[in-house]
Amino acid sequence: MAKKKEEQIIYVDSKGKRLSGRKTDELRPIKITAGVIPRADGSAYLEWGQNKVFAAVHGPRECLPKHTASPYKAVIKFEYRMATFSVPDRKNPKPGRREVEISKVCGEALERAIFVEKFPNTSIDITVEIVDSNAGSRIAALTAASVALADAGIPMRDMVTGTSVGKAGGKIIIDLDKDEEDAPDAVDIPIAMLPNSKEIVLLQLDGVLTRKEWEEAYKMAEPAIAKVYEAQKQALKAKYLNGEGDAHKAEKKGVEGQ
Amino acid sequence: MAKRLVIPGELVTEERKKLGSHVFVREGKIYSDSIGLVNDEADFASVVPLEGKYMPQMNDVIIGVIISERFAGYGVDINSFYPSFVSKKELREVLKPGSIISAKIMKVNEFNEVELGSIRLFFGGEIIQVTSVKVPRVIGKEGSMLNILKGGTGSNIIVGRNGRVWAKGGNTDLLRKAIEKIERDAHMDHLTDKMAQYMQEQTGGKKPVQENNEEGMFGEGEQ
Repeated sequence: MAKKKEEQIIYVDSKGKRLSGRKTDELRPIKITAGVIPRADGSAYLEWGQNKVFAAVHGPRECLPKHTASPYKAVIKFEYRMATFSVPDRKNPKPGRREVEISKVCGEALERAIFVEKFPNTSIDITVEIVDSNAGSRIAALTAASVALADAGIPMRDMVTGTSVGKAGGKIIIDLDKDEEDAPDAVDIPIAMLPNSKEIVLLQLDGVLTRKEWEEAYKMAEPAIAKVYEAQKQALKAKYLNGEGDAHKAEKKGVEGQ
Repeated sequence: MAKRLVIPGELVTEERKKLGSHVFVREGKIYSDSIGLVNDEADFASVVPLEGKYMPQMNDVIIGVIISERFAGYGVDINSFYPSFVSKKELREVLKPGSIISAKIMKVNEFNEVELGSIRLFFGGEIIQVTSVKVPRVIGKEGSMLNILKGGTGSNIIVGRNGRVWAKGGNTDLLRKAIEKIERDAHMDHLTDKMAQYMQEQTGGKKPVQENNEEGMFGEGEQ
């Protein structure tokens, strides 16, 4: 079909620069704002590169329908949704296989961080709406959701923070964007952890990676996650330190990660 | 700000201390479990949260709204996890959905479900919502903040621990603004002094006429 051979895309050039001009261990810019939806108990808005995400938390509240409640713990109901205009072609608004899966894994990741046993018979409802997406949206959803949970005042062991690592053009890189995810040999690993205890709560891998490559990838992920955590921390504190008057000078509302 | 602001999972102290509220221990160190201000004393560490839902506690006085009527009683929204219930046997007056009552929490079970007692019905007035963790700031030390609010606006005010403030008469618009300001600045020091000044500015130093309708505030409830 293709007459002339397609031009080889160079994902990482000789200077270590990527297609987007980033370095191999550089994150896309992150901006988080806490408390953007007044009707919700807690909320957050996150921009991670081109990804734009709203997260809202309601609860702990009565768990309905009642048979889904647990007398031992609060039930986490995580809903990941993509807006119809969040991708180049129109996305069918019906939740598909992918959304159901992401909702499940993200909910389970957050359940590890929340003190669910403090609120028996209740549910904590987390809704995440992806307004714009460009790879790495499940990690963006998780990052925003954990800020929203903290904003709701729900007791947590730790924040949940993540990034994606992977391979494109034979090189291990961090925080892949869409162009890199579409590489013929692309491997994408979303990884989320509790940053203080270094406990991994979400790890998914599709593609093939050697053991050595994985070790290298993990080594790159850890400092990147620390940067994302810092952005979350600043976003939550900015809500209070921004207060009018008083000695502390207002910090900028969003925090640019990297 | 004297006190340190922490987020969930942030270290409070590395020393061994008695645990207060909203802290937990991991590997011998004390961490915060919510966003709040650290209260780190010599042998005691706790975090005062800045957000959170109302956790029912025995003997709290709360303000509830009737949401439904059933054969034997009424469903009451108490701004917590579940609605509560008031039996018609304990009431002399007829309530309707939308009626506002104050009640005392007699019992809380392990699911945080409550039993209510000493119910009093309010006539008229309006409700202002506050985050329940900020209610202590609205009341102030020994009611100091509440006195400023009452003095400045001339309203009758009753504060429920569940984050509802009932007010009637006087300058309720000013009260609403003042409470919003308290909520926004709840984490700051010397809030009472600031609010006294704010009230002074807003009212221009004039004492509003205290409307004395204490008699008409409650229905024929108990007490």
